[in-house]
Amino acid sequence: MKNTKITPAARWTPKSGAGRAAILFIVASIAALVVAPCGAAPPYTTSTLTVELPDVTLIDQDAQLVTLRELVEGEEVVMVDFIFGTCTTICPILSAGFTNLQRRMGSGPGGPVLISFSIDPEHDSPEIMTKYLKRYRAQPGWYFLTGDRDDIDLVMHAFDAYVPDKMSHQPVTFIKGTAPNEWVKIDGLVSTADLTTELEKIRGGE
Amino acid sequence: MNRRTRRVGFLLLISVVALVSVPVSAEESAAAVAPVASHDQGWRMYHEGINPDGEPMQATVQGDIPVDGSMFTCASCHLRSGLGSLEGSVITLPTNWGYLSRPLVGSDMSDTARERLPDVHRQEEFRPAYDDQSLARALRLGKDPNGRVFDLVMPKYALDKAEMDTMIAYLKRLSAVHSPGATDTTLHFATVVAGDVDQDDQDAMLAVLEAHIRDHNSQVRHEDERKRRGPYYKQEKWDPYRRWQLDVWRLKGKPAGWPEQLADHYSKQPVFALIGGISDGEWRPIHDFCEKYEIPSLFPVTDLPVISDTDWYTVYFSKGAYQEGEAVARYLRRADESLRSSPVVQIYRDTPIGQAFARGFRETRKVVRMPAPAEHVLSGRKALTSKLLTKIVAQHPGSSLVLWVGPDDLGALAAFEGGTPPPVVFLSASLLGDAVTSVPDEARDFTLITHPTAFPADKARTRLAIERWLKIREIPLTNYELQANMYFVGWNLAGLVKMMRDEFYRDYFIDISDMMRDQDYAVGVYERLSFGPGQRYASKGCYLTALTAGPEPSLEKRSGWVVH
Repeated sequence: MKNTKITPAARWTPKSGAGRAAILFIVASIAALVVAPCGAAPPYTTSTLTVELPDVTLIDQDAQLVTLRELVEGEEVVMVDFIFGTCTTICPILSAGFTNLQRRMGSGPGGPVLISFSIDPEHDSPEIMTKYLKRYRAQPGWYFLTGDRDDIDLVMHAFDAYVPDKMSHQPVTFIKGTAPNEWVKIDGLVSTADLTTELEKIRGGE
Repeated sequence: MNRRTRRVGFLLLISVVALVSVPVSAEESAAAVAPVASHDQGWRMYHEGINPDGEPMQATVQGDIPVDGSMFTCASCHLRSGLGSLEGSVITLPTNWGYLSRPLVGSDMSDTARERLPDVHRQEEFRPAYDDQSLARALRLGKDPNGRVFDLVMPKYALDKAEMDTMIAYLKRLSAVHSPGATDTTLHFATVVAGDVDQDDQDAMLAVLEAHIRDHNSQVRHEDERKRRGPYYKQEKWDPYRRWQLDVWRLKGKPAGWPEQLADHYSKQPVFALIGGISDGEWRPIHDFCEKYEIPSLFPVTDLPVISDTDWYTVYFSKGAYQEGEAVARYLRRADESLRSSPVVQIYRDTPIGQAFARGFRETRKVVRMPAPAEHVLSGRKALTSKLLTKIVAQHPGSSLVLWVGPDDLGALAAFEGGTPPPVVFLSASLLGDAVTSVPDEARDFTLITHPTAFPADKARTRLAIERWLKIREIPLTNYELQANMYFVGWNLAGLVKMMRDEFYRDYFIDISDMMRDQDYAVGVYERLSFGPGQRYASKGCYLTALTAGPEPSLEKRSGWVVH
């Protein structure tokens, strides 16, 4: 790291006059698409949903066949996101978040099981997924899964995260809950602190 | 005034208009039609995330997630052009100097259009223009010149002064000048006819492309007038309008001479992009030319696309012959144990296309970590005989066969009559053409045939639409596959130009193409065309098929869409 000090920015909330101006700014930006030098994502929200995992066999980054239910069952901490190898904005942030989570929580046996489903299964081959995970310093316990488009569609539907096209996808992360088939959906891009807070809430039974 | 004089006069007029309306120096204009120079440190920071000292750039996102330039870069989100991206609900805004250096007033309307606004409609500034100091603050601290805090998705970069200066200097050059081939009135395109292409195929391709150009130029309703006289609130819609001009670049002689001919065509009339195009053989010289001059090239028709993970400017329908070889290797990886473990012999002719099939299979076998195949190369045009095939099989007992051969070689399959057949024989439907049904009945049980396009029955509706489109324009249907592909090219071009608005930057044109939704509408040949940043082969798979038994066989799918 260089000498420059990095100051974490406070989370922006639209309560002040400046906030209202910023809302106006974001609306105008969405209309024009081209007016400021950064992205504009909403704060995250959480919700609970019931997920009946489909009985599908997918392919991981090592080209091994993986039965989804077997991968998830019995694991205490499981997190899921939907990404693709050539994604522009959403996936790099989600994946950097998984990297940081593994750094903080550990990896391998006892660590969280992280599952990234490819929403571009025709392009994301095991070889491409391996390169992708290498870029993010993925450690054991992080699975990048691809497969037949129909199977991937089943998975997206199961998590109520179906998008007909990868460019329409949303920044969502799912954490396995404590009740059977219960999952908590985090809608939005989050910090590692936020992610671990949500995880602790689930594990603490809140 | 003769035609040539009028043309010269027109070009001079355009040149004068261009010089008046675009603040470009003569040196920059000359540079625009010259090959692109090698990339400097600023380029590497923006596109590769590498600091001038060779180390990855360091940053933080979402408040507490450390990232570095080896994970993602400025270009990952703001894209190669710097004009930003749109993905789901996340909008990444422009970062080129054209936007950063002017005040933001809630619209991307041009300065000229803004000046026309009545006072009552003029909006207050959302933010003042950036200068070097405020831009450095934005990159380090995530705040705009008003102090507004960016969304946390924007990384906060740890850059020292020299690094920051390098980055800002690059942003000032990024998409700063409209690309060659875009004038105030016209978007210039060209299509390449390379080598000795069958005249009927040339005509078929050009008729469809020219019909698209004609449609664009004639079905407009006085856009030029509207641009001049229309209401100010419609200017954003009318200002980007340009007529389309399509030149045909014919390349003669051997491919070694094509680069010089391409440069000659280009110097006479720089084009914004190449569209379609056809070659009697290789495409590499055109591909390399487009890389050198950074010219987008959309969907040439070739069996021999250049296979590259990193080249940027040519988008192909598929990997062509290479892709069928790839599909066979991937299919075998997923086959049952006995088939997967059997050794393989591939037989191909010593021609560019034979080599491309074989290379696709060979290289993919390596990628999927399976043993290299034994190989037998057929030289010349002499057909594969059953005697030769019997000899090869005897040398490699128990091996599966991958035969990249044509109709004249099918007689060799008689070698298996009454004997023990190989575990499987692979053939290519695209190499066999209509002769695919000539595979002997007795060989069909152990023969699989690569089929890289959709089944006609699955595309019947699209075909009907395309045929009606051709009929209305009085274009004879002479080569459906070629004409359907050019139909898509024109349809695609209209969408890209509309999305581009008046941001006439070639890199943005490609960026938009990359952000396109996956397409099956208007796709008459392939199952589906899919895109994504850096993805350059839109149709990505292949079926393995087999012939039904009997005197009038048809192909049946024996696999899903093989991609893994």
